[in-house]
Amino acid sequence: MRKQDFALEIASDPSLLGVVRNLVRSYLLDAGFTSERVDELVLGVDEACTNAIRHGCKGLPDDTFRVVFRSVDGWMEIQLEDSGEPAPPEAFARDDAPAPANADDLRPGGLGLHLIHEVFDAVEFCPGAIEGNCVTMKLRLPKKN
Amino acid sequence: MGLEIEVVDRGEWRILTARGEVDLNSSPDLRNAVLAALKGKGPVGVDLSEASYMDSSGVATLVEGLKSASGRKQTFSLIQPSRAVMKVLELARLDSLFDIRDSVETE
Repeated sequence: MRKQDFALEIASDPSLLGVVRNLVRSYLLDAGFTSERVDELVLGVDEACTNAIRHGCKGLPDDTFRVVFRSVDGWMEIQLEDSGEPAPPEAFARDDAPAPANADDLRPGGLGLHLIHEVFDAVEFCPGAIEGNCVTMKLRLPKKN
Repeated sequence: MGLEIEVVDRGEWRILTARGEVDLNSSPDLRNAVLAALKGKGPVGVDLSEASYMDSSGVATLVEGLKSASGRKQTFSLIQPSRAVMKVLELARLDSLFDIRDSVETE
């Protein structure tokens, strides 16, 4: 069982997000997910990368973050590692607050994490990360015919 | 990839059309265009029929536009949001927050 299918080391630059989305889309379609499922998963990965760029890399454009893709025991795992200030594990917990009733209720910044929790089957804060933040987004692989 | 923004006045409406992908890279341009369009007194519509992708930074821009407009009792509508835009709004549970139209009535 190999450790990973592939890993990306990406400069903390928002202009690269489109390239990452295309690559992830390609990988997920090949894994057999439906087009609609792929769309929402690409969104989830994009949100995680956006968080890494915004919060994980201390705003320095020459910093990088890493995304590792692996499939294990019927699950696909997408693990994102950055070198920013480690956030406490609660920061990755799902916010179960009810949907905002109007625009005034909307908390800025929390939406990306909410979307990540919505689209992935499991989201885990990686234990034992040496430095920075590490989040693993998991999804059940579709059964192949 | 990338985002193209066009602004036209149609009757009393200012229509902002966003074509392409709205993400962390391009949403600042959308934000600037939305806030500039709102400086006029009339209703503002954001045509999202050709927005092929939108993430939370794009949604935040739309929410900011709505809040700004609401404060001035100014109409701010989304026009024919694409499937991609509706999907992210639904996931964010914000789809019922916005005034969504197929078109704007003009003289």
